[in-house]
Amino acid sequence: MEKMNDKLQNTAKELLENKEVNLIIGFTKGSNPLRMRSVFITDPNDVSKLSFNAHCVQDLAVFLKKPEVKKFGKIGLVVKGCDEKAVNTLIQEYQLSRDNIKIIGVECRGAVKQNLADKGEDSVKQSTVYDKCLVCEVHTPLLYDYLVESDEPAFEINGDIKPYAKIEELDAMSVEDRNMFWQKEFEKCIKCYACRQACPLCYCTRCIVEKNTPQWIETNIEETGNAQWNMIRAYHLSGRCIGCGECERACPVNIPLMLVNEKMARDVFEKFGYKSGVDINAKPVFGTFDANDFNEFIK
Amino acid sequence: MARIGVFVCWCGSNIAGTVDVKRVAEEAAKIPGVVEAVDYKYMCSDPGQNTLRKMIKDKNLTGVVLAACSPHMHENTFRKAAVKEGLNPYFIEIANIREQVSWVHEDKEKATEKAIDLLKMMVEKVKKNKAIEDVRVPLTKKALVIGGGISGIQAALDIANGGVEVILVEKEPSIGGKMIQLDETFPTLDCSSCIMTPKMVEVYQHPNIKLYTYSELEEVSGYIGNFNVKIKKKARSIVEKDCTGCGDCWNICPMHKNVKSEFNVNLSERTAIYVPFPQAVPLIPVIDRSVCLHYKKGGKCQKCYDACGPKCINFDLQDEIIEEKVGAIVAATGYDLMENSLYGEYGYGQFKDVISGLQFERLLSASGPTEGVVKRPSDGKTPETIVFIQCVGSRDPEKGVPYCSKVCCMYTAKHAKLFAHKVHGSQSYVFYIDIRATSKGYEEFVRGTMENEGAIYLRGRVSKIYEDNGKLIVKGADTLSGNQVEIAADMVVLATGVIPKKGSDKMAQMLGISYDKYGFYTESHPKLRPAESSTAGIYLAGMAQGPRDIPESVVSGSAAASKILGLFSKSEYEVEGTIASVNKTTCVGCFYCRRVCAYSAISKEEIKDRNGNVLKVVANVNSGLCAGCGACVNACFSKSIDLKGYLDEQIFAEIKSLAV
Repeated sequence: MEKMNDKLQNTAKELLENKEVNLIIGFTKGSNPLRMRSVFITDPNDVSKLSFNAHCVQDLAVFLKKPEVKKFGKIGLVVKGCDEKAVNTLIQEYQLSRDNIKIIGVECRGAVKQNLADKGEDSVKQSTVYDKCLVCEVHTPLLYDYLVESDEPAFEINGDIKPYAKIEELDAMSVEDRNMFWQKEFEKCIKCYACRQACPLCYCTRCIVEKNTPQWIETNIEETGNAQWNMIRAYHLSGRCIGCGECERACPVNIPLMLVNEKMARDVFEKFGYKSGVDINAKPVFGTFDANDFNEFIK
Repeated sequence: MARIGVFVCWCGSNIAGTVDVKRVAEEAAKIPGVVEAVDYKYMCSDPGQNTLRKMIKDKNLTGVVLAACSPHMHENTFRKAAVKEGLNPYFIEIANIREQVSWVHEDKEKATEKAIDLLKMMVEKVKKNKAIEDVRVPLTKKALVIGGGISGIQAALDIANGGVEVILVEKEPSIGGKMIQLDETFPTLDCSSCIMTPKMVEVYQHPNIKLYTYSELEEVSGYIGNFNVKIKKKARSIVEKDCTGCGDCWNICPMHKNVKSEFNVNLSERTAIYVPFPQAVPLIPVIDRSVCLHYKKGGKCQKCYDACGPKCINFDLQDEIIEEKVGAIVAATGYDLMENSLYGEYGYGQFKDVISGLQFERLLSASGPTEGVVKRPSDGKTPETIVFIQCVGSRDPEKGVPYCSKVCCMYTAKHAKLFAHKVHGSQSYVFYIDIRATSKGYEEFVRGTMENEGAIYLRGRVSKIYEDNGKLIVKGADTLSGNQVEIAADMVVLATGVIPKKGSDKMAQMLGISYDKYGFYTESHPKLRPAESSTAGIYLAGMAQGPRDIPESVVSGSAAASKILGLFSKSEYEVEGTIASVNKTTCVGCFYCRRVCAYSAISKEEIKDRNGNVLKVVANVNSGLCAGCGACVNACFSKSIDLKGYLDEQIFAEIKSLAV
């Protein structure tokens, strides 16, 4: 870990000193030893605060949409492979200029589930990491300007792994039962919009839920409005969501949002062969039309 | 406060037969905001329109709803009537109770209910309507014609004769297209080059036509009235203004046996520096750099340069990009023929004497490789028996061309006739599926070939051709007699199917016009707007739209020209105001709208502060290009785009009117 942190800090220091960036966003130790939090560094002398370990859960790309961050212009971002896909998508969707970002990619071996870490779990194992880590294809980020290699070994995977196993279970349900499942989940929603705020790709300055002439989504907390909000959120992220899982982590009432996101991602891949966040020059799946597109639903 | 007038049209018995129009009017009168509701036998008639105008004036209406036929029919009629009374035309709404109600339902009770619902929706919509101004677009009065075949030439000449400047772009070194390759033309048997060359020369000499041959369209941007085009003028390696077309260069070129002549469809050779045919326009040679020894052997050969009197050969000339601004475009990119090699069973490529119809044209032509004497390619003997096979590829879904190529029946009859004229005592056999000879003089022409020239027509297909003792044995079916036939022929001519010009799909994408699954450009309306493409300002002509013969190609060229002259007769072009508009305050510039726009109507606009710093980049709708399709509205996550005349608010109001 020490070697990693050294390289991280040296890279950041150099970038700040050479004025290649005006701000570094990275991780630092939180109040609890098994919690890491975000840190914003503008002074090269502060880079010693930067640190990385298996508790760096947050997708720091979320800050790139904030106007108070944007005003720094050139930014250096410490980012794991999964979250780096959000940077790619932001570039792809014209929200970020490639010239304005220095990607300090860190090789990640998996992130420990925060609820387990809070109970003292500190080891990276099949049983302790997030579902997304079990199928991770981007331990090394796809795009980076600097790479900080990991000095930890990869965790072992034994047996048949089924991340998001609930999806298959839901697929097997009747429409009514599935609807019932989601009705129950959405019933809990308190419309705090934490899912939206935590999402690096929900960058609209005026969200559709805030549009009132006409009002598309009922804003009060009741069955219709809750379902509308959660479904529209999922639709707006289908073909875009990079699966960082921040929405689900942010949800105070534990709605399993990643099940919807992952289901949509699987469908998009199956029907259109598209994976989000992979290529900054790719045409987003919902921004293209191809004569060979799946269109059996048009009768 | 809304003051809405409702008019329920009977359309004679068209509507009133199935819908209780009195009741619809009574119910309409009860809707809040409706000041008066009447029914009338024919709203589109003069007295009907006068009732409308009178009520607008007397009741000071803020909106009008007509329950009548489809807005496609009379929306414009009623809008014009409204304008005469000073009401913005977009305050007219139509509930379609004919096509969507009376014509498709039988139960009068239920049909009346539905008519009332549709009417209610439109009343609620019209309450939310806003005045919309039509968009006026300036016009650059210059036209671009792509393709110098007969239809492109006709279009260019007609436009130019109308006093408008034309740029004609042709990919090949000479204009003339496919028609100049033909010998005589059906059904009048006038010589193709005799009627074509005067037109080609006229194009070349016309003061209003700028001709770019050996040039290709590189890029198109802009919109009706304001297209910016980039034309790539490929390097001919000749300084054109100095060339006299004397021929000293191509006569001395050592590469005279190696390159197949495109013009003679591979039946003869050409040199590396060449003009495609003696009457080429312009009569300026071009060096085919892919075969020229000068380029292949590092500059050693320069015989043409040495022979050239005015020294107009310049081996170092480069491609040039020419930019032009035009107001309208004609796409007349023409056609190709299917590859005969698709037909293994007919032995094309394997047997030298199995040739295509276009090759036969060259054999008939006085300017062809045999100077008009019919000789077969294998040994130069004059054939005595020729088998013509029609529908080679055409009407064959298996080969991807289910359509009829239209010209083959006629040119095959012509081939048989000309063969009989040229080789006395010869015999033609024609295998056909059906004979399609539907224009003026066509049926008589085919009859003549059968009855006067003795061509034997066999209804059926050929299954196999093989060579035996210097003859081509053609095995086929005569389905009318039910017999298998076997003909020993000296030559076989295949009437291969017509397909769009290679690259026509790319051209369509560059122009932003739609094309069908085969690659033929599609008309804006197959019957009522056959000269217009799906994109305003771009017109279509010739075979690029689908198989057609010379007269039809000429007509289509003239049609495109007349549309352009009509367009240019006005000072500005008026576009319907029902286009998309962006809320630039809430737009975050993700440009999904731009990605889905089929009309390239969305551009990026920088929002700056007073010091000129870019605050953000947002979408901007180009009103000249926007067709009002609404794709961008769907694509926008934050609902920052709305379609004028179909605002979300209006649609919501319509839907809510149905909620009980």
